[in-house]
Amino acid sequence: MAKAMLVDVSKCIGCRSCQVACKQWHDLPAVSTKQEGTYENPPELSASTWTKIEFKEFGEDGTFRWLFRKHQCMHCTEASCVEVCPTGAVAHHDEFVEINQEWCIGCGYCVTACPFGAVHREPPKGTARKCVFCIDRVTNGLEPACAKACPTGAIQFGERADLVEAAHRRVQTLIAEGYSNAVLYGENELGGLGYLYVLTDRPSVFNLPENPEVATSMVSAQWFSGIGTAVLLAAVSFWLFFKRKKRIEAIQQSKTEGGAEE
Amino acid sequence: MINWGAPIWIYLWLAGMAGGAYFVAFLDDLFTRGGSRQLVRWATVLGIPLAVIGVILLVIDLGHPIRFWHLLVAFRVLSPMSLGSWILLVWVGIAVIMTILWWSEQPLALMASEGTVRSARRATRFLSWFELIFSVLVMAYTGVLLATSNLPLWAGTVLLPSLFVASAASTGVALLIITSVTANTIDKGELKLAIGLVKMRFGLTKLKSAINLLFNPTEWTIPRQTVARLAEVDVGVILVEIAALIGYAIWLGNSAMAGAGEALKVVTTGALAAPFWVGVVLLAMLIPLVLDVTSRAKDIETRAFQRAIVTSSVCVILGGLILRAVIVIGGQM
Repeated sequence: MAKAMLVDVSKCIGCRSCQVACKQWHDLPAVSTKQEGTYENPPELSASTWTKIEFKEFGEDGTFRWLFRKHQCMHCTEASCVEVCPTGAVAHHDEFVEINQEWCIGCGYCVTACPFGAVHREPPKGTARKCVFCIDRVTNGLEPACAKACPTGAIQFGERADLVEAAHRRVQTLIAEGYSNAVLYGENELGGLGYLYVLTDRPSVFNLPENPEVATSMVSAQWFSGIGTAVLLAAVSFWLFFKRKKRIEAIQQSKTEGGAEE
Repeated sequence: MINWGAPIWIYLWLAGMAGGAYFVAFLDDLFTRGGSRQLVRWATVLGIPLAVIGVILLVIDLGHPIRFWHLLVAFRVLSPMSLGSWILLVWVGIAVIMTILWWSEQPLALMASEGTVRSARRATRFLSWFELIFSVLVMAYTGVLLATSNLPLWAGTVLLPSLFVASAASTGVALLIITSVTANTIDKGELKLAIGLVKMRFGLTKLKSAINLLFNPTEWTIPRQTVARLAEVDVGVILVEIAALIGYAIWLGNSAMAGAGEALKVVTTGALAAPFWVGVVLLAMLIPLVLDVTSRAKDIETRAFQRAIVTSSVCVILGGLILRAVIVIGGQM
């Protein structure tokens, strides 16, 4: 049975316990940051920050609203990073996407390919790094560190089928409570994500792509575009050019011949 | 922190120029029925160091440079980087074999039978067609590499490979023009580089004999008519490039991909507007176009003509570098 995580943003209080637990379990160094006028910190995911809470602040008509969303690798079924990796270092292990740190050459291709901006490549390690779904804990019967640390139950670990069912029920409840845009994200996106989200608003409000695409979805068209242009250049800039040149030369030649006759 | 920096855009520029030069030289030779053998030879020989320098830059940019060989024990058809590594390897490999075959023409003629010489020539001819296919793949790959991603400026349309191929061919023409003019001046015994900015007279006979020994160019001088023809070809190539750029911008502006409009604005009106309009539109396209068209009225034997087309070529080559930089940096902003 496939395992998954369910993040219910309506239960998240933005305490960032998950961030700290992740850093502690994976022995990741702290990042030096600046106060930017928000409680959101650090400002972005990096090779040494594999999960973080994104804060969104909305001030409307004298009211103030905070939206929180946990951000990390989604462990996609159709994973762009796996597709573009030139060495095969990024691969699925069961439903989890893992980067073999001994085989990764640190080219950074997966960093550009990820639709969620979840993979990073930075010194001193130089390899691509991201959330590993606590595969060491999960394979030993424990839940991931972030889920374990979450005080409100906003992060749940379990059987994917069960979580999908629970999430659908929760979305219905939220809609009934007045969150008319509430939606389940990740059930079918990119063949199904390892992280499911119960969102209180449209995905784009939470910086999630509404229709994520695998990076290689257009790869044949891209090759065709490049090769086709080369053929076009050969036809227009060479074939037509030489044809025209020959015609002009023929005309000039017939003119000089005509002149000789007169 | 930016993921792909200067080594990547310099590499894309070098690889494109190398592939483009061969592509252009081969087609010129084909359409003049073997009238540009020396040009093909120069393009092949010059392509080797350009590609090698590019690959060195790529390897340096890796997080673990020593593991670069992992690329060559895998073949992943959907990954443009994996395919590209193999394409580049085959492309450089053929160039080296072709160079060795040319180089051995004279010794073979002295030692071996006529049949052997002829079959060596036939092998070179066969390989040169193969190299044409791979030069197209090299040019296309530099665009496909970026386009297979989730960054809107790169992946929001399918016209980035088109733009890069046209630019690669244009920088290829420019490289051939500069090489031809330089080769001709070396042959005359004086080296007057580019627009007369640098005038050098140093051990030219030594340089000549070194190039003779290494590359064995049977004929040094590239006919003025060939150089003039390349400048005319460049007009057609730049027109295709301008069409590709316009198509790319319009498509990106209307792309369904999230963030595509903002990505376009970064380049056209945002942080990279100056390098885009001055470096790409003016330097890589409009200035060379005007110079190439106006130079047609000039007598090809004159200094003024040479100066015009060499200036145009320098603009194309610099503009090509700026195009790669703008796209690579802009995509990650």
